[in-house]
Amino acid sequence: MNAAAEIQIESVSMFYKDNKGNDIHALNNVSIDIQKGEFISLLGPSGCGKTTLLRIIADLLEPSMGKVTVCGQTPKETRMQQKYGIVFQNPVLYDWRTVKNNVRLPLEMMKINKTEQNSRIEKQLELVGLTNFKNHYPHQLSGGMQQRVGIARALAIQPEILLMDEPFSALDEFTREKLNEDLLRIWSKTNKTVIFVTHNISESVFLSDRVCVLSPHPGRLSAIVDIDLPRPRTREIRETPEFFSLVSKIRNSFEGV
Amino acid sequence: MTDKLKSTLWPLSIGVLTLLIWQLGGFHALLDLKPFQLPVPTGIASTLAQNLTKALRDCGITVSGAIVGMIIGSSIGFLIAVVATVFPKWGYGGLTVVSAFNAIPIVALSPIMNRWFSTGMGQKIGVVTVVTMAAMAINAYRGLTDLKPFSLDLMKSYAANRRTVFFRLRLPNCLPSVFTALKINITSSMIAAIVSEYFATSTSGLGFGIKDNLRKAEMAMGWSYITIAALAGIVLYLIISMVERRAVKWHASQRIK
Repeated sequence: MNAAAEIQIESVSMFYKDNKGNDIHALNNVSIDIQKGEFISLLGPSGCGKTTLLRIIADLLEPSMGKVTVCGQTPKETRMQQKYGIVFQNPVLYDWRTVKNNVRLPLEMMKINKTEQNSRIEKQLELVGLTNFKNHYPHQLSGGMQQRVGIARALAIQPEILLMDEPFSALDEFTREKLNEDLLRIWSKTNKTVIFVTHNISESVFLSDRVCVLSPHPGRLSAIVDIDLPRPRTREIRETPEFFSLVSKIRNSFEGV
Repeated sequence: MTDKLKSTLWPLSIGVLTLLIWQLGGFHALLDLKPFQLPVPTGIASTLAQNLTKALRDCGITVSGAIVGMIIGSSIGFLIAVVATVFPKWGYGGLTVVSAFNAIPIVALSPIMNRWFSTGMGQKIGVVTVVTMAAMAINAYRGLTDLKPFSLDLMKSYAANRRTVFFRLRLPNCLPSVFTALKINITSSMIAAIVSEYFATSTSGLGFGIKDNLRKAEMAMGWSYITIAALAGIVLYLIISMVERRAVKWHASQRIK
């Protein structure tokens, strides 16, 4: 075990019953160390437990066995200190709040003063390129723009760790690639630790420092692949032989799919 | 703008045409009716003009009973929905009981309330209260519990307590459903108030006016009351719709094309 790791996942297993009463073995003995400032992807097909693992780290689920340590404490303590910024599969914007007030929501709950709230909102909306839409309601935005608001809201609380659960899976390929580039630009400015769940191999290669490949039934870690592509990465890197060889290396590391 | 004009013009011209056919004896010829069986519109209008003060006083009595009853009934319904949300285990049973109330016919309810309350107004309010409870309870419960996926997770990640979840998420989320219930209730409260007056011992209100005049074969006067009742219903509905448009302009049903 590396004591300096920001997030330590130690032999985590997860069992539960589904709504038909069948036993589901969602995760089997998964251990990963994640360093501070690292961009890690959890990659795998559906049923591999990648979202379950993310939810365990976020303290939205408790593991059946094993333990997770975040910044030297339990996930619950980390959650109660509001050190997690989470971006979900859909933007989860509150329809009755304008863009800027959606970003304001967590800040209100943290009892941050109004001036500070406004300056953080300005800053985050500028970062995601939505300054001109701050007074719009969510239904007036495209899916990609809504997800950007979700990212701005997650970053506004200045989290230690950004947890992203297939944030771009509902978007079309063009929007997804654009948002991938935007995400890297934002990440390079903030240097948060990012855990990014995806089922898209090239997305995980493009974004990550390391890709954790998970295989299903039961969900288990089959490989951790270092992505040694230089940064900053731009769209041209998707065309390089190195990129392709990493993609096929990952594709070949799946077991039992 | 032209679309809006069209959508107003069509129903309006159909309404005018209907009145014209009615006035010129079209319906009388069609259904083989004599004018004393179905008075013509001008006859109804002149009768109404002569008795306007009395008709408006009766209208005021019925409308105030309907509104007070609707406010009490909707408030109780909303409270039940809140209880069912906060204490799901036994609150849901309460919701079922209230829906059963909805099945009691107004013609049964009115004589019962007549025994319970000594005044016509009390009886009216009693009937309307029972009639409007269920629609609000069921709709508000749906609005309070039918949350977008992950919105509870988002709140949990902010370490929000139940109180915060209620006021920041559930309450605003149920506003559109509350207005749906109010729109149902404003119509049914007028019907309930009018029907309850059929069975009341008091000799005021639109319901009594309709019953009494039709019984005495004062057809023009009876139709005057019917006209006033219809107009009152439309005006009340429009008022609720106007408030709704201002209060939930963020909601899908209120989006201006």
